[in-house]
Amino acid sequence: MAILVDKNSKIVIQGITGREASMVTKHALAYGTRILAGVTPGKEGQDVEGVPVYDTLKRACQERELNTSVIYVPPAFAYDAVMEAIGNGIKLIVIITERIPRHDVAKFLLAAEKANCTIVGPNSVGVITPEDRVKLGAIGGDNVERCFVPGEVGVVSRSGGMTAECSWMVKRAGFGVTTSVSIGGDPLIGSPPKTILTMFNEDPKTKAVVMWGEPGTSYEEDVADFIKEGGFTKPLIAYIAGRFVEEMPEGTVFGHAASIIEGGMGKPSDKMAKLTDAGCYVADNFNDIIQILQEVMAH
Amino acid sequence: MARVLENIGKELLRKNRIATPDFLVVNSVEEARKAADELGYPVVIKALVTAGKRGKAGAVKFAENSKEAERIAKEILSMTVHNFPVERLLVEKKLDISQELYISITFDSSKMMPAVIASSAGGIDIEEIAKVQPEKIIKHHVNMLEGFHLYEAKEIWSDLGLSGGVLQKATAILWRLYQVFEKYDATIIEINPLAITSDGETVAAAILMGVDDDALYRQPGLSDKVEAGSDRAWRPLTALEKEMVAVDAAESYRGTARYTEMEGGDIGFLCGGGGGSLLVYDALLRFGGKPANYTEFGGNPTETKVTGLVKGVLSKPGVKSFFMDANITNNTQTDVVAKGIIRAFQEMNVDPEKFPTLVRLAGVNDGEAKKICLEAGIEYYGDDITMEDAAQLIVDKMRKTYPEEVH
Repeated sequence: MAILVDKNSKIVIQGITGREASMVTKHALAYGTRILAGVTPGKEGQDVEGVPVYDTLKRACQERELNTSVIYVPPAFAYDAVMEAIGNGIKLIVIITERIPRHDVAKFLLAAEKANCTIVGPNSVGVITPEDRVKLGAIGGDNVERCFVPGEVGVVSRSGGMTAECSWMVKRAGFGVTTSVSIGGDPLIGSPPKTILTMFNEDPKTKAVVMWGEPGTSYEEDVADFIKEGGFTKPLIAYIAGRFVEEMPEGTVFGHAASIIEGGMGKPSDKMAKLTDAGCYVADNFNDIIQILQEVMAH
Repeated sequence: MARVLENIGKELLRKNRIATPDFLVVNSVEEARKAADELGYPVVIKALVTAGKRGKAGAVKFAENSKEAERIAKEILSMTVHNFPVERLLVEKKLDISQELYISITFDSSKMMPAVIASSAGGIDIEEIAKVQPEKIIKHHVNMLEGFHLYEAKEIWSDLGLSGGVLQKATAILWRLYQVFEKYDATIIEINPLAITSDGETVAAAILMGVDDDALYRQPGLSDKVEAGSDRAWRPLTALEKEMVAVDAAESYRGTARYTEMEGGDIGFLCGGGGGSLLVYDALLRFGGKPANYTEFGGNPTETKVTGLVKGVLSKPGVKSFFMDANITNNTQTDVVAKGIIRAFQEMNVDPEKFPTLVRLAGVNDGEAKKICLEAGIEYYGDDITMEDAAQLIVDKMRKTYPEEVH
C-alpha cells in the first residue's frame, strides 16, 4: 500500500516533449514506471522514449485509460492544462511547473475541488512510491535507490530538494518509504501537509511520517491542530527549517493584511512549540531524525 | 511579489474609479514647497518608499503652510524608513476626515483563496483592533470562480454597521477594489484608511499594493513600474546583489539563483536548494559559524551561472572560506556545478588547498563532480555525510585555519 500513486496509476504527461519532461520520462521508464501517453499540441504521432504523444488529452483518453497526469507545461499555459486534465476526468494531477500566476492557481484549485480531483503542487518535484516503482516528476533523478527504498515511513516536504534528503535520512536510519511527496513550496498549493497526513493515516503500511516544514503560512500549525483533533494518530517526526529568519531585520513586513489573516502564525519557533505540544517528535537538529526514527520504529 | 509604489497604486485606483487625494511626486525641498503651494494647504507629505508602516516610522506628516512644508520635506528626505533611504516624496492634499475605514484583499493560504478584510475602524492601529475588537473586522473569502458580488460588499459594510449614503459609497469602492485585485494580478492591496470625508465622499487616502512577479508577463502596463522580488528585501539591493541579479537574469531559463549579503561574516556560503539553504544556514549559526551571505540556487544552472555566483560569494570583503552544501539533487547536474566552482576559483586566482574550502555535492553525475573537485584540490563530500555534518566540518575548519580569531 501507499498513497497517491501505485501500480494502478495510469499516467499521462502534459508537456511531454519539453527538455526536462523528456529527460524525466526517460528516467521514470528506466525505473519501471509505466507512462501511457503524453500530450503536446501539434506533435501528435511523435513519441518520447516510445511513449505516444497526442495533440489533446481527450485524444489520449480515447486511446488509453488514464487517471493521473503530470503537468510540465510552461507557466502561461499551466492553467489551461490543469483545466484540461480536470475536464477529462483525471483524478490526480501533479504540477511540476513553477511560477504559475497565483490567481490562476487559486482558480484551478477550486475547479479541482469541485470535480473531486486531487492536486499536488504547483512547484512539486514529484511523488514516488518505491514499492511499486512508480515515480512522477524528477524525484529521484536517474539514481532513485540512492534515496528512495521501499519501507514503512511516509515523507511529506515543502521543499523539493529536501524530499530526497529526508527520504535519504530515512534510509540512513535503516528504513524505507511508503510514499514520498513533494507538495510544492508555494503559498497556494493543492495538498498542504494536513491533506497528505490524512492519506498517510489511512494507509495501513505507513507506520510513521517525516515532515519537512519551513517559515511562513499556517501549514504546520494546522497539522498541530489536526493531531490534537485526532485526525492523525501515527508518530510524526517534524523538522522546521529557517529559524534564523526570525532574527532578520523587520521591514519585510508589508501592510497589515497578512498579520490579520495569519494572526502571528508562520514563525518556525511557534510551529515547533505547537507541534511539540500536539505530541510530535520535533527534531532540533536535522541529524536527530535518524535516532528519533529508530526509537519510534522500534516500538 | 513586486511592491507597487504609492503613486503608481493611486494612479491605478483612479483609473478604476476609486477616488484618491490629489497628489504630486517630488524629489527636493524646493519642489515639495511648490507642490504644496499648488495643491493648497493643509497638505500631507509622505516618504515615497516601498516599505510599509511609514506612519509609525514618522515618515508621514502634515504641513499647514509653505514654511512647514519645507521643514517637513527636508526632515523626511533625510530619513531612512525601514532601511529604505527616502529619495522622493508624495505631497498630497490633506483630507477633512470624519471616519476612517479599512479594506484589504490578500491570499489566505489556510483556505487557498483570497480574503477580503474590512473594518469600520481603520487607521494605524488596525492590527491592535484585530486583536482586541475582532467584531469590528470582517474576513470574507472569495471563490474566484464565482467572483465577488456587489451584494457581498454591501453585506460586509452593513454587518459592520454602515448605513445610508456611506454604505452605498463604501460598497462600490470595495467591489471596485476587488476588480483591481483581479485585473492587475495583485497579491495584496490595502487601503488604510479609506477615508469618509466631512462632505460624505469616500477617498482612498493611502494604498499598499503588491503584484505577482510571476504574472508580470501579462501586465505590460505594470512590469516596468515595479521591482520584481522586492518583497524579499528588507533594504535596497547592494551593488553586489544587483550584480548577482544580473548573473541570474542573463540565463533566466536555466536555474534560479538568489544572493543576499549578510552583515559581517567570513564563510562564503552557496547552497543548492531553497529548503536546504534554510537548514544549513541554521546549522552554521548553531555551530558557531558566521556566514557572510545567503545564496541558493535551484533547478539546473549552467556552468557560467554557477561561476558568476561563486565569484560573487568570494568577492565580498571579509570572506575567508568557501562552503558549498547541497541536498542530494533530483535533477541538478552536479558535474556542471563542480565545473562552475572550479572556473570561479581559477578566474579569481584562489587556491582551494590554501583557502579553506569544503563542498558537499551529491546527486546526478556526482561521480564526475567528485573527480573534478578532488583533482582541483577541493575537500569534497558526497552522500557519505549529512548536510549538517558538512556545516560542522566547515566551522571546525575555520577554527583550525584561523585559531587566533574567536569563533
